[in-house]
Parts: sequence; C-alpha cells; structure tokens
Amino acid sequence: MISFVRRNQVLLSAFLSILLSLYIIAPATKGQMRADPIGPLLIALMRPFQTGIQMTVGGIKDVYFNYAALRGLGVENEKLKARIRRLETEQNRLLEDEATNKRLRELMEFHAELPPGSVTASVTANSASTWFHSLLIDKGKSSGVEKGMAVVSHLGVVGQVVSVTGKNAKVLLVTDSHSGVDAIVQRSRARGIVAGSLENGPIMKYVKRSDDLQEGDRLVTSGVDGVFPKGLLVGSVSKVNKKSIGLFQHVEVALAVDPARLEEVLVLKGGAAKATE
Amino acid sequence: MKLSLLFVAVGFVLVLLQTTLMHLLPLGPFVPDLALVLCVYLGLNHPTVGAVVGSFMLGYSVDVFSSPVLGLNCLAMSLVFLTAYLSSRCIWINSPLLSAPVVFLASWVKGGSLMAVWTLFLAMDGLGAGGLKYAFVDALLAAIMAPAIFMLLRRGQSYVESKKASMETA
Repeated sequence: MISFVRRNQVLLSAFLSILLSLYIIAPATKGQMRADPIGPLLIALMRPFQTGIQMTVGGIKDVYFNYAALRGLGVENEKLKARIRRLETEQNRLLEDEATNKRLRELMEFHAELPPGSVTASVTANSASTWFHSLLIDKGKSSGVEKGMAVVSHLGVVGQVVSVTGKNAKVLLVTDSHSGVDAIVQRSRARGIVAGSLENGPIMKYVKRSDDLQEGDRLVTSGVDGVFPKGLLVGSVSKVNKKSIGLFQHVEVALAVDPARLEEVLVLKGGAAKATE
Repeated sequence: MKLSLLFVAVGFVLVLLQTTLMHLLPLGPFVPDLALVLCVYLGLNHPTVGAVVGSFMLGYSVDVFSSPVLGLNCLAMSLVFLTAYLSSRCIWINSPLLSAPVVFLASWVKGGSLMAVWTLFLAMDGLGAGGLKYAFVDALLAAIMAPAIFMLLRRGQSYVESKKASMETA
C-alpha cells in the first residue's frame, strides 16, 4: 500500500488537488462563497509590487507621450535642447498634476451627486486572466467597502465589488460575462440587463421584441437591482438586431466607461438610492 | 538555493506580470497566461508533489486576482498539470520551441475545464462561439510566450542544479 502511494504520489496529489478545487467551488453553485484565508495574504504580498509597477509605468507613459508631443518644437542647439528637456520634465509633472486634478475634480463633482458615504479608490491591479474582467482597488473593509457594493466613475457604471480584504477589494467589471446591470433605455424606458459577453462585447439581454430601441440610445441604471442607484449612465446602444424568431432582441452596447483607462473609481456605500440627474 | 524556491519566485513574478504589465500589450481583453506556461513546465520537467501544490497555488493566485468564483482556476491548473504530467511519459521536449504546441493544447484543457464548470455547475451563459474564440486566442498567446519562458526556466533550473552539484562535491 505504502509503496503504491509512494510510486504514484504525484498522480494521487494531483487528483487530491482537483478534489480540493471542486470542494472550494461547490458553494458557488448555491451562490455562496467559501472563506478565503490565503487570498488576503497573496494580495497584501503583491500589492506593493503592483502599485510600484503601475506608478512606474504611468510615469514612463506620461514622459513618453508628452515628450513625443513636444519634441517637434524645433530646438536648434544643444543648450536649448537641454533646457527644453528640463522644461519638459517640469511640464510633464505639471501636466500630470493638472490631469490628476481634472480627474479628481470631475470625480468629486460626481461624488456630490451620489448618495452620501461613497469612497474614492485607486486601481492597483487588473485581472490575471483573459476569461475574467476584474480589477483590484486599494480600499477594503477598513474603508467600509463591502461585497456587493456598486463601483462607478464620473463617466458611468464600472462594476460591482465581489470580494473584500482589509485593504483591497476585487471589482467584477460590467464587461465580464458573469456580471449584470439592470438598465433602461433613457428615451423609451425599455428595460433589460446589460452584461458582458465573450462574443461581441457587452450586450443588453432580455429586451422584448416589441420594445423601441435605436442605435445611439442612452442606457441608464434602473435602480431596481438594489446595487446601482437609478439614473447612472451605463452606455449606449451600438447595434440592434431583431431576429426573425425569439422573444428578445439582440442588442449590443458601447459602455460609457473604458475599463482599460480607469485609474480612480468611486465605491457607493449607499446602495441603490437615486443618483441626482 | 533550492529549486522549489526558484519556481515560487518565478510563479510570483509571472502572476505579477499578468496583473500589471501584460495589460499594456495591445491585445484588447486578452491577457497572455504566463502562469499556465509555468504549470505545463512543472508537469513536464519537474513532476513532484511540490509542483502539484505549486500549480494549485498558481490557479489560486489567478482566482484571487480575477475570478468571481474561487477555485475555478485551481481546478483548471490542476487539470493542466495532470495532463502535462501524464503526457510527459509519452513526449520529451528537447527544444523550447516544441513547448509551444504542448502549451497550446494545455491551454485548451484549461479553457475547456473553465467552460465545463461554468456550464455544468454554475449555470452561466454568454459562452458558446465567443468562448471558443477566447479559448483559441488564449491558447495562441500562451503558446507564443511558451518558448521564451521554457528557455528561461530551463536555464534557471540548470544553474540551480549545477550550483547544488558543485556544493555537494565541495
């Protein structure tokens, strides 16, 4: 027996790890989640490195783009070139400060329109997998962030908090195929669920064939899902296809928020109260 | 220096890259699955109980940073390791370039297991043809990255082993 186990230890441990994985997944079939003791440690371990890389990349990008934009100004000699570089560096810093100020000002103005108690957070990491669209933010339980809270930016809906540790939270983006936001068409009040899809990007599901929808229609949150306040911009209708058969229309959506460009977000503590329109 | 430490460090760096720098590549929603490449390498070249735990932890890390359901990638990575381990009895990869087709197939195992769990247990929709496209592009990206990672891992492994051998002879 012992020799059998020793001979096949890799095979047996692989089977054990598969069983353990299924044991971890099992509660999800009932919509629950098993306690995760290791996740917060992993996040805490990676966070400084992720933040460092994000900051470095952000700095390099700013320097590159601003330098590229300004280098055609026609500098004639080395002295002037050196001076311009110094000025560019200074300008980069100022531009970055200005851009940050603008973003934060927009976020603050938007903040005032939302239910009280929202938390501003920065994005520290993105999803580690093609199959899931999520991001990690730098605010967690210690800042009052809880699972299920809505996450938005001044441009519109971003996603929903799916797990929280002390100082971080994982946000499932609207672009993920597992997410869903109850939305209405601002013009016709037709209702549906905006969700991610692996086929043609985000779609609006369960829109009745009889509902009036046109390309370019603005979609806003309905507030009935109990997560997002009513009236937040989700995106706009980019394509409508009324199939010859079936109960529903096929509606493709262009989201208002590009998750790839997100740097700061707001986590809404107040639940689905109505946003000021 | 222990070989397992090397793999832990490499795993850490790969997951770190996946969550940060890999998103800068102009690939849209696709992120090259570097952790999968390491998992295949472990299954083929370093099949130990520690490597099984390592593969499980790689999946766990990906779950922590991405998946709304904990355990999905643990299962996928464990299956990938098992497939690579079982196939290591039949295939022997001499050149890092040959790792590309193996990783390509392993990525399909991962994609297939993710889609199977979604469909069978979690009753989630939105897969279908889109799922196949994701699986294909994911596999292609992982296969492209595989030779370079395999080469680096092999060099790292030989370095650690030669250090260990020289210390033992001394």
